[in-house]
Amino acid sequence: MPLDHRRLRGPDESQPPALWAAGAEEDEAGAGEGEAAAAPRDPCALRPLFARAGLLSQAEGSAYVELSGGTKVLCAAWGPREAAEPGGTAAAAGGRLSCEFRRAPFSGRGARPRPGGAAEREAEREAAAALREALEPAVRLARYPRARLAVSALLLQDGGSALAAAVSAASLALADAGVEMYDLAVGCALCRDPGDPAGPWLLQPGEAEERRAAARLTLALLPALNQVSAVLGGGRGGDPEGWGQALRLGLDGCHRLYPVLRQSLLRAARRRDAAHSA
Amino acid sequence: MATAFKTVEPLEYYRRFLKENCRPDGRELGEFRATTVNIGSITTADGSALVKLGNTTVICGVKAELAAPAVDSANKGYIVPNVELPSLCSTRFRSGPPGEEAQAASQFIADVIENSQIIAKEDLCIANGKLAWVLYCDIICLDYDGNILDASAFALLAALKNVQLPSVTINEETGLSEVNLKQKNPLVIRKHPVATSFAIFDDTLLVVDPTAEEEDLATGTVTIVTDEEDRLCSVHKPGGSPLTGAKLQDCITRAITRHKEVKKLIDKVIKSIKPN
Repeated sequence: MPLDHRRLRGPDESQPPALWAAGAEEDEAGAGEGEAAAAPRDPCALRPLFARAGLLSQAEGSAYVELSGGTKVLCAAWGPREAAEPGGTAAAAGGRLSCEFRRAPFSGRGARPRPGGAAEREAEREAAAALREALEPAVRLARYPRARLAVSALLLQDGGSALAAAVSAASLALADAGVEMYDLAVGCALCRDPGDPAGPWLLQPGEAEERRAAARLTLALLPALNQVSAVLGGGRGGDPEGWGQALRLGLDGCHRLYPVLRQSLLRAARRRDAAHSA
Repeated sequence: MATAFKTVEPLEYYRRFLKENCRPDGRELGEFRATTVNIGSITTADGSALVKLGNTTVICGVKAELAAPAVDSANKGYIVPNVELPSLCSTRFRSGPPGEEAQAASQFIADVIENSQIIAKEDLCIANGKLAWVLYCDIICLDYDGNILDASAFALLAALKNVQLPSVTINEETGLSEVNLKQKNPLVIRKHPVATSFAIFDDTLLVVDPTAEEEDLATGTVTIVTDEEDRLCSVHKPGGSPLTGAKLQDCITRAITRHKEVKKLIDKVIKSIKPN
């Protein structure tokens, strides 16, 4: 394995203490069952979401989204700047959107992933591509020819539905930066329990639910235009009817989240106004 | 008019303020920005702290893992700090592997841990030669507005005070380790090092807690790390304009005062979450 000279290294190998937790396995299974039996979660319940825009001083636009499962995503966006390759034919007649998605090393519940490792970079690239797919239809790229818009998302804590939260945070950040957009892209995640093949799809799963899910789905919707910008998912979900139902549930969830995000943008704009006039 | 002058001649603009012994944001030369601390917000980490020094925001998350100690120090655990300056904290940083500034900051934090003996590595050892704790301290800057070293050191201290390690015993018969996640003990923090940074202007003037603009205009920086017994842990002066001995003494005095302020803040925060 090539040595990473840029970071301070610890021991070559280390394991999380949870691996050797005595009786932890039985505890978890017992707790899981108890939880499911005692309070079966309402699959359509949308848990509270906290969104705040305009909190970083160095970025042109920024947003922070926190879900009640503990997922915390911070996103910064920068408006149009000159594209790296000037000239050339109008292959990209509009602007380009470049996205970046990073996980903090302390964000996962299990072992700490080595920053800079190949698997880590691969996962980040995938997530960044998914983010870009979800955001591109929402931004009016045609208004920024030969320009580059940058979005950078940082996941501070993963409590389930991380990518969906990142999509919402990124579109809030872009709007906060003053980039012209058709609409905000709202993200929503769903998953299905492995136990029941015809079971219900859960909206906005928590971390434990997501981990043992048999099928997962992440949706991004432009609510005012009622257009879906990205659908990402897979797994053993059962018949196509079930997937159709899941999509409808997800779209409904996005519509319900939309007013919260708009409110946060409004508040940020008011705060900025007050700061300027003061 | 003032903003035009500021853009064209930033140094002159700044000197006008310094002549009146104050700075553009209204602070005195020896005044720190408003400092706030928030601990325990990241539940997936074993300990975490978020520090805001004015606009500069730094978050530190500590994750504890188990590993075999190194062959030449069989009774010591590891503390591995890492400072990350991601592209979201400022436009001057690009995404990718850590750049120069991040590496320098990581090395500074590692030196602070080593020199001040904030945690004795022997305390992290569970079984001599077989099992020890590794504390991975990841410090991520969320908003870069100068004085990253002070904020990182403070975040590290607050996060380490917040860490709860599960108790580990080695089963005599099987030789395997058993971890009890329910029973947690806090870390033993021996010393409380606090860093104070100064920016040097025109070889003579010292300004405490520089913002990003001030750092760019400065001709040098000095960071002093002191511990609670008013002793000097380390002086970090990476090049820049030279300082007289008297000026350095002033810096140390100011650092000692700052240490008291910071210690009070940390104690208040720790006490506020104690009834848990």
